[in-house]
Amino acid sequence: MSYGKKDEDADTGLVKVDRTQVFQEARLFNSSPIQPRKCRILLTKIALLLYTGEKFPTNEATTLFFGISKLFQNKDASLRQMVHLVIKELASSAEDIIMVTSTIMKDTGGSTDAIYRPNAIRALCRIIDATTVQSIERVMKTAIVDKNPSVSSAALVSSYHLLPIARDVVKRWQSETQEAAASTKSSGGFSLGFSGSSASIPVNNSTMTQYHAIGLLYQMRMHDRMALVKMVQQFGAAGAVKNPAAIVMLVRLAAQLAEEDANLRKPMMQLLDGWLRHKSEMVNFEAAKAICDMRDVTDAEVAQAVHVLQLFLTSPRAVTKFAALRILHSFASFKPQAVSVCNQDIELLISNSNRSIATFAITTLLKTGNEASVDRLMKQISGFMSEITDEFKITIVEAIRTLCLKFPSKQAGMLQFLGGILRDEGGYEFKRAVVESMFDLIKFVPDSKEDALAHLCEFIEDCEFTKLAVRILHLLGLEGPKTSHPTKYIRYIYNRVVLENATVRAAAVTALAKFGVGQKDPEVKRSVEVLLTRCLDDVDDEVRDRAALNLRLMKEEDELATRFVKNGKLPQSEPNWIALQHHIADGFFFADNMFALPYFEHQLVMYVTSDDKSTFDAPFDLSKIPVVTREQADAEDRTKKLTASTPSLKPPKVGPAKAAQTGAEAAASASAAAQKYAQELLQIPEMSEFGSVLKSSAPVELTEAETEYVVSVVKHIFKEHIVLQYDVKNTLPATVLENVSVVATPSNEEELEEVFIIQAEKLETDAPGKVYVAFKKVNGEGSLPISTFSNVLRFTSKEIDPTTNEPEEQGYDDEYEVAEFDLAGSDYVVPAFAGNFAHIWEQVGATGEEAEETLQLSSVKSIADATEQLAKTLCLQPLEGTDIPVSQTTHTLKLLGKTVNGGRVVANVRMAYSSKSGVTTKITVRSEEEGVAALVVGSVA
Amino acid sequence: MAGLFRKVYDWLLRTFWATEMDVTMIGLQNAGKTSLLRVLSGGEFTVDSIPTVGFNMKRVQRGHVTLKCWDLGGQPRFRQMWERYCHGVDAIVFIVDIADVALLPMAREELHLLMEKERLAGIPLLVLGNKSDLPNKLSVDELIDAMDLKNIAHREVSCYGISAKEETNLDAVIQWLMRFANR
Ligand SMILES: Nc1nc2c(ncn2[C@@H]2O[C@H](COP(=O)(O)OP(=O)(O)OP(=O)(O)O)[C@@H](O)[C@H]2O)c(=O)[nH]1
Ligand SMILES: [Mg+2]
Repeated sequence: MSYGKKDEDADTGLVKVDRTQVFQEARLFNSSPIQPRKCRILLTKIALLLYTGEKFPTNEATTLFFGISKLFQNKDASLRQMVHLVIKELASSAEDIIMVTSTIMKDTGGSTDAIYRPNAIRALCRIIDATTVQSIERVMKTAIVDKNPSVSSAALVSSYHLLPIARDVVKRWQSETQEAAASTKSSGGFSLGFSGSSASIPVNNSTMTQYHAIGLLYQMRMHDRMALVKMVQQFGAAGAVKNPAAIVMLVRLAAQLAEEDANLRKPMMQLLDGWLRHKSEMVNFEAAKAICDMRDVTDAEVAQAVHVLQLFLTSPRAVTKFAALRILHSFASFKPQAVSVCNQDIELLISNSNRSIATFAITTLLKTGNEASVDRLMKQISGFMSEITDEFKITIVEAIRTLCLKFPSKQAGMLQFLGGILRDEGGYEFKRAVVESMFDLIKFVPDSKEDALAHLCEFIEDCEFTKLAVRILHLLGLEGPKTSHPTKYIRYIYNRVVLENATVRAAAVTALAKFGVGQKDPEVKRSVEVLLTRCLDDVDDEVRDRAALNLRLMKEEDELATRFVKNGKLPQSEPNWIALQHHIADGFFFADNMFALPYFEHQLVMYVTSDDKSTFDAPFDLSKIPVVTREQADAEDRTKKLTASTPSLKPPKVGPAKAAQTGAEAAASASAAAQKYAQELLQIPEMSEFGSVLKSSAPVELTEAETEYVVSVVKHIFKEHIVLQYDVKNTLPATVLENVSVVATPSNEEELEEVFIIQAEKLETDAPGKVYVAFKKVNGEGSLPISTFSNVLRFTSKEIDPTTNEPEEQGYDDEYEVAEFDLAGSDYVVPAFAGNFAHIWEQVGATGEEAEETLQLSSVKSIADATEQLAKTLCLQPLEGTDIPVSQTTHTLKLLGKTVNGGRVVANVRMAYSSKSGVTTKITVRSEEEGVAALVVGSVA
Repeated sequence: MAGLFRKVYDWLLRTFWATEMDVTMIGLQNAGKTSLLRVLSGGEFTVDSIPTVGFNMKRVQRGHVTLKCWDLGGQPRFRQMWERYCHGVDAIVFIVDIADVALLPMAREELHLLMEKERLAGIPLLVLGNKSDLPNKLSVDELIDAMDLKNIAHREVSCYGISAKEETNLDAVIQWLMRFANR
């Protein structure tokens, strides 16, 4: 066991124990004859030190350890017990602990009821090394099934720790472990505590052994799903296991199995439902939580769990109420309507004297309730806001923030509330939560803007957090000039320049400047100029620099202003630094357009951290960074905030396969892969004239993973060329492949013409290699040829002579056919994102083409799977949060992308699920370019 | 009342008469240390004795003397620990398998290495040639030569031939050890 950090608060009031002194006293262990009582006291002191986090240096630990080993086999049973206890703790820091193996082993065995047996077993597993585990097999097997629970538990827990170091040996103890899990042992009778000799184990009627046994069984069978299912069913049967902790473990296991395998969902759900009625509360809670956390849980599935939790809400015990409410609170973020049946009971808790319960009650109601109840609840909260900790205050603020987005008409009351608590005492995290909420209001609820800005202005007058002040100043600069009375803000901002630290002053200068640039009112412009000029005398460099830059920009205004306001793409001819300046200026002053920031950041990082010196020959290319309108970015942001509800909670698990990616993240990860390929391809001289890669597909497996030769392919699209990159691995031992090439035959030979093959010279066992086959698009750069490729691996195989370790002179030529793959429409599109789907759908529909297809995906088991697979195969970006289906039966997936030529591709996929026929989908694709819609639909047909 | 008297008597006996002494038993693996100790403490000889991992401690009671015997593992990885467990004991017993001639040079080397340690100076040494029941074994004189015992100085050295299996000559071992009790 490790006690990571020294426990400073440990109550040392009882005895003053000092490490050095204890170490000195340890000579006592070597005295003869042994004095059991004194030794016990000294051992207790050592144990106290170790348990409170003290660590003996290795040499001291080793000396102590050898001293203690002199005490073995003493007649005093309690001394023996202490010896094992301390040896166990010293095991991790002393050297040569292996020496005591045989001696400890002696104390573990036998059928005695000696009190030190469990201790000996636990100590043994700490000191033993992997090679010796086998020799204690018999001892452990008997101990596991011992009738005394203390012995059995000690053996089970020890096996648990031995499992990682000697898996094969420990796995042989399964049937004993199984027996321990099934038996409800008790040593029978009862004890008066002091009857009998003190050297024998006190009576222990605990059923904890079952918990330990099931924990161990799980570890042993972890990789065998069928065995796990059997285990859950066997021990999950009513009455099979008594220990509630053991059942809690089964609950978790059942939930995990249901999550991993759709076929198991029904039987596992039945078990979970049964556990809702178990007589132990602990089990009920765990089952209810598991059901609420289940992916895509339906209203019917969750009804019983919610009902059980509802009953707990009226329990007389506070902790029970709290536990139930906390589960409901988190669930309400995702399925408020399912929780709303409890509203009446939750109402009763909003004035509970336990403020933690009251807080959760109110925030839950805020999620489940209707618009009408909001005001009342807000009033209730205000009543005790000052009595709760920052952590709970943040919970409340988060709830209100989501609420504002949901019911914009309620903004006035909520803003007042937020403004109020902003004035209260509170730490950074709390204040930040409030400020963020106001930012959201300003962004998404335009009516609230001026009032919210006023609250923020007041806040920065007396704000101890530099970070928050800077962010607020930036926002004032952004929003202030657009308001009806911009001058009002100028005063607040300038006050900061006078009164604050350098960081805040610099931010204030920048904010101030935004009122001056492009200002039509000469009066206002004039005063900003005066104020900025004063800043030229500031003591801080940064403040002066910013003032100077902005003054200059204010003068250049006429020439530059037109460019600033301009939207859209940059003229390619402009030198990069000017482009950068303009773009920054865009974001800077008017903020109508901005770069897709996460992507921009990623690209910059890739650029500055490049290992390849030649990267720096060319300046960073800004024109590659997509520009989005502020509207788009905001829309993205809003969906995220609404669906993610309170960020302090974990969103429902979306299955192991994926975490929802936002458009920018998807673009960034795709671009990371592309970047890697691009760098590899750059090294190949034959391809230098192809230009840069426009799109690289995900790898497609062409063989099973266990075949002799493992082959996968990546399709790279260039302007006028297609390059197939085959990754080949030779898994045959003691052979080497030479001159490895791939004969790739396209079905569409009219449009694709092979230009060259780059062989892999030599493939040793398990060392991956690459073969490239390049094709030219016969119809030129705009064309998007599709084709099926058949592929044959060709090579010379040579065996390695085991005596010399050299390959033989003469090999033999061989061929190996691998699976076919398609070059499809989706290989030419890249995901793209935007805020408003309907708008783009109409735009593209007006000018472009449309194609449609109805598909029966009978092998797909759920709407969620279909959504994920379709977005991936079509290579398009889900918009408006449609990548997470809400219903299990019907769903509409909205997708957007662009072809490598730049034309937009939009798809609308409607799907319906029935257990009989799987998922039925109707895919409608619209494209700006001719023929593309049909091509893209074709890639799934 | 009688019970109390008995307890007092026992206590007096323990306190004024009882003597405990420490004895360390070493030797290469498979020499028969663990077997010998088992037999000395009244146990049965068994053929399938498992190698000792680290050490093993047993008490051997003879009259009012308790011999605390430390039986150490003989495998190479435990040998550097011998010194530690020989330090401060009343006697060292080094056991040799006299039917395994091939291992004798190594046994001699390990013994001499240990005897040269300064802090073990003066501790009496008893070398036992074990497994005398087997054919083709060495005699005691041959063993003395093979182990070069004449060249071990600064202590009392004796050498006997024994068999743990047949319990031959074990009394002599106890007798020899008892001489060092109470000193
Ligand atoms: N024939 C015969 N065999 C013996 C005698 N003493 C021990 N053996 C056998 O020798 C083997 C090794 O005995 P152990 O007592 O385990 O040897 P050890 O010296 O403790 O070995 P480590 O613990 O590895 O150092 C066992 O198979 C014993 O049965 C003996 O007197 N005669
Ligand atoms: Mg042994």
